[in-house]
Amino acid sequence: MKSSPLPLGAGIGLRTPHVRQVLDEHPAVPWLEVHSENYYVDGGPALANLDRIRADYPLSLHGVGMSLGSTDPLDRVHLAKLARLIERTDPVFVSEHLCWSGVGGRVLNDLLPLPYTEESLAHVCARVSAVQDALRRTIAVENVSTYLAFADATIPEWEFVAALARRTGCKLLCDINNIYVNAVNHGFDASTYLAAMPREAIAEIHLAGFEATETCLIDTHGAPVAPSVWALYRRAVALFGRVPTLIEWDTDIPPLATLLAEAATAQAIMDTPDAVAA
Amino acid sequence: MPSLRELQSAFAATLFAGGDAVPSFATVPADRAAVRMAVYRRAVFANYRNALAATYPVVKRLTGAPFFNAAVDAFVAEHPSTSGDLNIYGDAFGAFLASHPPPAELPYLADLAALEWAQDEASRAADGESSPRDVLAELTIMATDELPAALLTLAPSCRLVESRYPILRIWQANQADNTASERVSLDAGSDRLLIRREPGGVTIERVGAGEYAWLAALSAGLSLGEAIEAAQDADASFDLGTALRARIEDGAIAGVRAT
Repeated sequence: MKSSPLPLGAGIGLRTPHVRQVLDEHPAVPWLEVHSENYYVDGGPALANLDRIRADYPLSLHGVGMSLGSTDPLDRVHLAKLARLIERTDPVFVSEHLCWSGVGGRVLNDLLPLPYTEESLAHVCARVSAVQDALRRTIAVENVSTYLAFADATIPEWEFVAALARRTGCKLLCDINNIYVNAVNHGFDASTYLAAMPREAIAEIHLAGFEATETCLIDTHGAPVAPSVWALYRRAVALFGRVPTLIEWDTDIPPLATLLAEAATAQAIMDTPDAVAA
Repeated sequence: MPSLRELQSAFAATLFAGGDAVPSFATVPADRAAVRMAVYRRAVFANYRNALAATYPVVKRLTGAPFFNAAVDAFVAEHPSTSGDLNIYGDAFGAFLASHPPPAELPYLADLAALEWAQDEASRAADGESSPRDVLAELTIMATDELPAALLTLAPSCRLVESRYPILRIWQANQADNTASERVSLDAGSDRLLIRREPGGVTIERVGAGEYAWLAALSAGLSLGEAIEAAQDADASFDLGTALRARIEDGAIAGVRAT
């Protein structure tokens, strides 16, 4: 199945407020990622701009709404919209989230946590395979931040993620911030998680900022990457080598220059992991 | 052990139960579990509120955030999202506002919502592919006796909205970049509006009663003959030749076919 690698550099998640500036100024960034759903439209200026961006940059499509873990039937309309966008933009890479977003016909439009059980694993594997078969390409699946864990869970998250890649052949989008957030929220060692990741499956890394509250860390994508997450990223680079890395920022979106500076920091760590090590 | 489906159903039920509902399935003690469930609840409702605020900015500006957010929360309960694509959520919000009385001084709120939804749809509609020249050519080769039964199609982005209130002026007066204070009299007349996407962006244009009825009939799939009848019922002075030429030239009419 089709799957081409992203450039081995640090890109940014392109959000609507920055599209005009990127088109006008053409900043030096090795690749860009957009949220697929923002372009599930029939026409109009947003799609036309994406065509222009695609002409200038390698593009990754990152979906937030496929609901891979839901027990409702796979939304074939949603899948068809993704297929149409893939057809139009010929992205370098396509990814979705390891979560569910609705049940009983009601969609919650958020990344909700799965109970890590054998039943869930079999279910998600079947759904990932169905999506890969329908798209005729390998997708990457991203680990998500969670605030609740299930008492009935029987498998550690990292084993669940590794098994998903092993059984379906999907790639992994390893979100370092989400691993850190979950390590704090659920009390495990983030190093154990990283060490359990199958190197050959890791196709992309995400970095973003979280918000610390009294009860837990919340994955807001609204702040700079935290020092502790940079430290974990250095560890990931030491383990995995160079992996295409992306800076995400979705709330309180700062000037484009701020995102580019964060990407430059990631690039420096990737290029000289020892020299930058804390 | 509960099934995956049972756990997902319990999660959703706890989330929508609101307040301090305690998830029964969590690993952490009840008090902490309730607080963490509230993190999800806030995120889910913030997503709905943000999505509808992006589609209905003037409705939000006119009603204020507290009313708007409460209206969205109530709307979500009656009209749940059914797609992972949140950009298409909220088409029924105008009708919902009409059936849930807004503040007495905003009787036009549902119509204004219809105008904002029409703009949203126009902004993401398919790009038209035909040119005025193509449409004229098709029309020219048609025999005169074929014309009454012909079907004229509007460009994919065309939407029609009418109101007994002057909603266009109200909409214009409430743009975020409009700092001038203007009083719009609700008796200032009704509006019949054609909304569509042109190369420079989404436009809103006032049209007369006859032309509105004509465009609405064409949009509903009626034949040209039936549409002319509807137009003349609305306005006896409706001039087909002028309207047809203008709407082909400006691209609102994007296709013609004989039946």
